[in-house]
Amino acid sequence: MSNDKLKQIISRQAKQSSESLIDHSNDIVQLVGFVIGEEEYAVPILSIQEIIKPISWTRVPQTPKYILGVFNLRGSVIPLIDLRTKFGLRPKKHNEETRFFVLKEGDDVAGFVIDRLTMALRISKKNIGPAPDTMAGDESVIDGVGKQADRILTILKVNKLLERDF
Amino acid sequence: MDEFQEILQDFLVESFELIEQLDQDLVELENTPEDLELLNGIFRVAHTIKGASSFLNFDVLTHLTHHMENILNQARHGDIILDANIMDVVLESIDLMKALLYKIRDTSSDDGIDVTACVAKLDKINDGEEIEAPVVKVAPVEKVKVVEPVIVDELDYDNMSDDDVEAEIQRLLTQRQDEDKMKRANKIAAGESVPKPPPEPDEDIVEEKKVEPKSKPATPPPAPAPVPVRSTPQPTPSRAVDIDDEDAKAAAPAKRAPATVEQTIRVDVKRLDHLMNLIGELVLAKNRLIKINVDVEERYEGEEFLEELNQVVSIVSLVTTDLQIAVMKTRMLPIGKVFNKFPRMIRDLTRELNKKMELEIHGEETELDKSIVEEIGDPLVHIIRNSCDHGIEMPDVRIAAKKPESGTVILKAYNEGNHIVIQIDDDGKGLDANMLKRKSVEKGVITEKEADSMTEKEAFALIFKPGFSTAATVTSVSGRGVGMDVVKTNIEKLNGIIDIESEVGVGTSIKLKIPLTLAIIQALLVGVQEEHYAIPLASVLETVRISREEIYTVENRSVMRLRDDVLSLVHIGDIFEVERILDGSEHAYVVVLGLGASKLGLIVDSLVGQEEIVIKSLGDYLTGIEGIAGATIRGDGGVTLIVDVAALMHMAKGVKVTALAERGGGAGSVSKEKTKASDYTVLIVDDSKTDRMIMRKSLEPLGVTLVEAADGQEALNLLKQGDKHFDAMLIDIEMPRMDGYTLASEIKKYNRYKNLPLIAVTSRTGKSDRMRGVESGMVEYITKPYSADYLSSVVQRNVNFKSEFL
Repeated sequence: MSNDKLKQIISRQAKQSSESLIDHSNDIVQLVGFVIGEEEYAVPILSIQEIIKPISWTRVPQTPKYILGVFNLRGSVIPLIDLRTKFGLRPKKHNEETRFFVLKEGDDVAGFVIDRLTMALRISKKNIGPAPDTMAGDESVIDGVGKQADRILTILKVNKLLERDF
Repeated sequence: MDEFQEILQDFLVESFELIEQLDQDLVELENTPEDLELLNGIFRVAHTIKGASSFLNFDVLTHLTHHMENILNQARHGDIILDANIMDVVLESIDLMKALLYKIRDTSSDDGIDVTACVAKLDKINDGEEIEAPVVKVAPVEKVKVVEPVIVDELDYDNMSDDDVEAEIQRLLTQRQDEDKMKRANKIAAGESVPKPPPEPDEDIVEEKKVEPKSKPATPPPAPAPVPVRSTPQPTPSRAVDIDDEDAKAAAPAKRAPATVEQTIRVDVKRLDHLMNLIGELVLAKNRLIKINVDVEERYEGEEFLEELNQVVSIVSLVTTDLQIAVMKTRMLPIGKVFNKFPRMIRDLTRELNKKMELEIHGEETELDKSIVEEIGDPLVHIIRNSCDHGIEMPDVRIAAKKPESGTVILKAYNEGNHIVIQIDDDGKGLDANMLKRKSVEKGVITEKEADSMTEKEAFALIFKPGFSTAATVTSVSGRGVGMDVVKTNIEKLNGIIDIESEVGVGTSIKLKIPLTLAIIQALLVGVQEEHYAIPLASVLETVRISREEIYTVENRSVMRLRDDVLSLVHIGDIFEVERILDGSEHAYVVVLGLGASKLGLIVDSLVGQEEIVIKSLGDYLTGIEGIAGATIRGDGGVTLIVDVAALMHMAKGVKVTALAERGGGAGSVSKEKTKASDYTVLIVDDSKTDRMIMRKSLEPLGVTLVEAADGQEALNLLKQGDKHFDAMLIDIEMPRMDGYTLASEIKKYNRYKNLPLIAVTSRTGKSDRMRGVESGMVEYITKPYSADYLSSVVQRNVNFKSEFL
C-alpha cells in the first residue's frame, strides 16, 4: 500500500462527493428575506443558524460602533452586529419586529440585528442577476440581485458579513 | 480526514513520543555506557522510526535513521564504545531526525533538509571500527538470528533483543501467510469449504485438521493435552493451542507485553476540549441554579420543599465540582514531559560554554493542563539557558569563590493551592540589583529617576525587559535580550506570575506560579456604571475603598498612597470607554492589580464579588481586542467580559489624568451644553390626563421640552430606552401598575440617574408620605393644588435653568 495509491483513491472519492453536491443545487436557491431601513435583503437559508427575538447583550470596548457587543446564545458567546449602523443608517430602537439573525459559515458565527423579517422564498437561479458593476467585486458584501414579481432583493455574501473588517 | 494523513498523524504522534524519551536516555547512556537495556531501548526507537518512515516513503528520514541504527547496533554488540565524541554525532543525528519530523508534520514531506554531512560522520564512525559496509552489516546479523531459533531450543528467544524477535516474527508471519495461502488454494482446488478469513487460532485448527484428520472438525480443542506440542518447555494455558513452533515463538514477546501495556486509550484532544466545554456549561448552569435557589429561599421562606431543593442544589453543585476536577485531570500531563529535554540541553551547554554544570530535577510527576504544558517549554528553555550562561560561573571562578567546581541547576515543580509552582534555582553568581539598574539606564530601558526609586525586586524584574542583556558578549546561547522577554509574555499569557529571588554570590531562584488550568478560574467581578467586568483573581492583590480626597495627581497621572507605596491609578471606565454618565459617589473602590513586580490600582464603581468563571473565547470575529481576555456567562445568563490584566497595565500607560479628579465633567456627550430652552427635557408621570395637562400648561411658558408617561412602568421604560436625556421628572405618587415611590427607588438603582432630580407632585400631604418620598429618592415634594408659578420655579431650580432663556 504505497501512499501514492492511497492519495489517488482518496482524491477520487473527494471528487465524487463534490460532484454529487453540485447536482442537487442547480436551479433553485432558497433564501430568507429581511428588511433593513427601506430595503429588502436576503441570505441563503442554509447559512442561517437561527433567528431569535432580541435579548440583552454586553458591550465590548475598543470596537467599531456597529458592533453592539456579544450575547449569550445557549452558552456560546456570539458577537452582535447592527446592520443598520453597518450600512450607514441611523440606529433605531429595537421594537416588536426586530430580530437577531444568527448566521453561520464554517466556524464563524455572528448575530445580526435586522429591522424586520419578511419571508423565506425560493428563487430560480436565472432570476438572480449579478451585483451592479459599481458594487461588484471581491470586497463587496453584495452577492447578487434577486428579482421577483413585484420586488428586488439584495442578496448578501454571508462570508463577507462574517469577516472581520476593522 | 485524509486516510494517508491519518496514518501520518499516528506516525508523528508516536515518533515524537519516542524521541522525547530518547534524549534523556542518550544522556543517561553516556554516563552508563554498559547499560544494555537502555541501549536496546534507544536502538528500538531508531528502528521503529526507520521502519515507519520507509513505509511512508520518507526517504531522507529512512536514510538517516538507517545509519544511526548501524552505529547503535554496533554499540549494542560491544563493537564500539559510545564516548562523548560519538555521542555528539549521535545526538546531532537525533536533532536532524527531529527537524525532519517537524518538517514532515508541517509539510508532509521530508525534502529540503540535508543529512549527508551527518550521515558521513556516522559512516566514518561505523567504518572506523568495522570494515564491513553498513548496509550489509545489518542483514547478516538478522539472518543469523533468524536461522538460529529454528534449530536451537526456543529459550534463545529470550536472549534475543526485542527487535530481532520482531524481525523474526515478521519473517515467520509472511512465511506462514504464504503457506496458508497455498494450503487454502489447495483446499479450494480439492473442493473443500474454506473457513472464513482467519483469526489466528482458527487457522491453527485448520492446520490441525490437516495434521490429524480424525479430530472433530467444529470444536476447537479445549483440552490442550492431546495436541502435539513439540517444544514448549513452559506452556501457559493460552499458548497450549499453539501447535507449531512459530506460534510459540510469537508468544515470547507477548509474554512481556502485559507488564508494559498500561490501561490507557488515546483520545483526540478535541474531544477532551469538547468535554471541558460541556463541563463549563454545567458550571454556569450550577452557578445559575445556586442563584435561583437563593431567590426562591427568600420568597418562600419556611416552606417544606425548600429543604429538598437545597439538598438537590448542593448535590448538583458538589457533583459538578467533582466532575470538573475529574475532567481537568484527564487533560493533565506530568510536567516531566517538558523537563525531559533539559538534561540534554544542560549537557550541550556544558560542552558549549566550557562550564561544569549539573541538573537536578524534582517533582517531574507534578501534573499540569496539557495546554499549559505546551506553553511552558519555551520559557523554561530561556530561563535555564540564562541560568547556565549568566548564573553559573566558570569553574576557576567557582573554585576561587570556594564553591564546588561544578554548578548546579535545580528544576523543581510542585503544587501550591490552585497553582503549580515551577522553580529554577542555580548556585551561580546571583543578580546584582545595582548592576542591573546601571545597565538598564545605559541601554535606555529605564530613566535614572526610575532607577533610583526602584526596589530590589523591581530591579530583578528588569531582566525581563525587551532589549535588556547584561552579558558582556553575545554568545550563541544568550545575550540578545530577547529570551527573557519571551518568558514574561508567555507566562503572563497563562495568567502566571514570575517571582525572582537572588543573592549576590549565592545564587538565583526564579519561581513561575501558574494556574492549574486555563478554562475555569476564580475572578473578582467589578462594576462600572451598568457594566460588569471580571478580573482574574490571581492578579488581584487586594481591594481598598478610598475617597476622592485620597487621589493625587503627579506628573499628570492619578496616584494614591497605599501604606508606604505610591500606587498609580487608572479608572476602568477610561480604559474601556465606558460612558460615565454620572459619578455620584464620594467613594470608589481600588482593585490593586499585581503582575510580577508591577502594580496598578484600578478604580471601579463597585465590587460585586468573587465567582468561579468559565473562560470563553469571543470568537474569531472579536479576537485580539486589547484589554479583553475573553468572556464568561454569568448566573443570570448575561455575558461578562474578562479583563486581560497584562494588556490593561500596558494600556494604562497611555491614559493620562484619570478618574475621579474631573468629576461631573465626565458626563461628556450626554449632558450637552444647553443652548436653548427646549434643550431641557422634563418627564411628566401621572395617570390622570387632566393632571398632566395642568403640569404641561404650567411649564409650557418656560419653553422646555415635555414628555408624558401615564404610569411608573411606562416612565421607567422611557428611561431605560435612553432615547432622551431627562433633566428632571415630575412624579405623581398614586398610579396604577407602578406607584411613584417604587418608580423613584427603581430609578435610583441606576447609577446614571443618581443625580436626576425627581419631584413628587401629589395630593398626599401626610408627614409619613413626605418621609417615604425622601427615602425613595425624591428631592422635592409639591402638594396639589399648586400654582403654576411655583411648579415652574421648582423645576427651574432643579434643572439649573439658565436665566437668559427666560
